[in-house]
Amino acid sequence: MIRFEDVSKVYPNGTVALEHINLHVKKGEFVFVVGSSGSGKSTFLKSITREETPTSGKIFIADEDISKLPKTKVPFLRRKMGIVFQDFRLIKNMNVFDNVAFAMRATGASEKEIKNRVPYILALVGLACKEKSMPTQLSGGEQQRVGLSRALVNNPKLIIADEPTGNIDPRMSYEILELLNEINKMGTTILMVTHEQELVRKFGKRVVEIKNGKIVQAAA
Amino acid sequence: MRLYSVRYLFSEGVKNVWKNRMMSIASVGVLIICFILTGVFTLLSISIKNTLKSIESRNTIKVFLKDQVETEEAVNLESKLHEIDNVASCRFYSREEAQEKYKEQLGDIYEQMKERNFLPHSYYVTLKDLSQYKETVAEIKELPEVDIISSRVELFDKLTKFNRFISSVGLVLTLVLALIALFIITNTIRLTMYSRRQEISIMKSVGATNTFIRIPFIIEGMVIGIFSAIVASFSLNVFYNFIVESVRKNISFFYTPVLHNLVFYLLVYFTIAGIVFGVIGGGLSIRKYLSKGVYGK
Ligand SMILES: Nc1ncnc2c1ncn2[C@@H]1O[C@H](COP(=O)(O)OP(=O)(O)OP(=O)(O)O)[C@@H](O)[C@H]1O
Ligand SMILES: [Mg+2]
Repeated sequence: MIRFEDVSKVYPNGTVALEHINLHVKKGEFVFVVGSSGSGKSTFLKSITREETPTSGKIFIADEDISKLPKTKVPFLRRKMGIVFQDFRLIKNMNVFDNVAFAMRATGASEKEIKNRVPYILALVGLACKEKSMPTQLSGGEQQRVGLSRALVNNPKLIIADEPTGNIDPRMSYEILELLNEINKMGTTILMVTHEQELVRKFGKRVVEIKNGKIVQAAA
Repeated sequence: MRLYSVRYLFSEGVKNVWKNRMMSIASVGVLIICFILTGVFTLLSISIKNTLKSIESRNTIKVFLKDQVETEEAVNLESKLHEIDNVASCRFYSREEAQEKYKEQLGDIYEQMKERNFLPHSYYVTLKDLSQYKETVAEIKELPEVDIISSRVELFDKLTKFNRFISSVGLVLTLVLALIALFIITNTIRLTMYSRRQEISIMKSVGATNTFIRIPFIIEGMVIGIFSAIVASFSLNVFYNFIVESVRKNISFFYTPVLHNLVFYLLVYFTIAGIVFGVIGGGLSIRKYLSKGVYGK
């Protein structure tokens, strides 16, 4: 699903964020990316979403080298993945339904498809009864479930989550992880950055540790 | 692009206008002023051109004879006038005929004039070839008996110069106003974009194409442009008809034609201009946001 071949990233200001990364994530895997602050975890995810391009090396997603993908093709790469943010990124003046539908509208789905798909996804994350709620009326955990729904609604093969539980309390975090686990069981590959050792231990998934831009531990 | 996307993007564009209504109103105001001024100058130029044409097409000139020319002398002038190549025909008006003709306008003076008629003898001369107009007028002026010719050559020249002036002032003004309008529209749309920056970054993260992200903002510009065009067209039409009426009453030589379907033409031109402004404005303003990252920080 994802293959890094000798990938390095040096930011224009000279910061070396990734150094000679080699990694293979198979289809359907669930991977925790850990490491101390500033080690390069976000840069690693951003190079998958083509938010950043590697300075050298190749990145393959579903056997396509995305490091050379022309800009006009980037949106179509992103449609293959769902991105979950630490700060949820919900649109304040849209209700839950519209926030999720937004991802479908932005990629040209019809209202009919939206009416079928959004309630299904909201039910999946346990928010069926909150369709009409505004983001401010939801708890952090609920907001992140909306964020997750939005990432899932276009049926991606890959979920990219950068500290999705960073802004919510541990019990809620656990629920989000359960959800991700369920989604993973349906065949979606998941890449998640986290600082929470406890969660990593509890779920016992593959762990990739990044230290100073290098992978120091990549079990399996 | 599919129909429901078109509908969605269109409604998003209209929403943009409404959400950012203070700036939208400002843009519309500036655009209307821009359109109206451009229109006024264009219409003025058209009117002058029409006046010029109507002067040219009146192939009759009035030749007034000097005061001291006696009636017999004046009558004899006819053959001299006929000798001039370009003269098709001429008709003599004696000072008595003139007095009768202007009886009404003269009023009280008419009575006094019975004692001393100060109107000159005159000829109405018709020309064969209008392109020789100026030359022929000059030739007639050479005749010793001739005093003045109401040939309108001077008026013609003046109007031609005035028209050139109006056209160039109009052109410069239009360009300056167009730049201002573009600046205002671009900034209006930038403001909308700023208030929607989070949505833009989310759209990018879920894989919306740049075109798709851009369209509502272009539509926003177009709506502003089209709305301004409609208001400007109707206002200018009313204004023009009002001017035509008062000019008709007051300045007889100035030929302001009733332009049929004026609203229609104004609408077409202004709307096209409005759309162009909107598209350019929308296109210019979004660049910055499209180059920003998904994380938008
Ligand atoms: N756009 C940028 N320009 C320059 N340097 C950057 C940029 N983004 C990140 N960096 C630097 O690259 C290094 C890695 O940053 P990155 O955001 O990937 O770390 P991280 O592991 O996600 O940290 P955290 O756990 O705090 O989120 C850091 O030293 C950071 O300062
Ligand atoms: Mg980070």
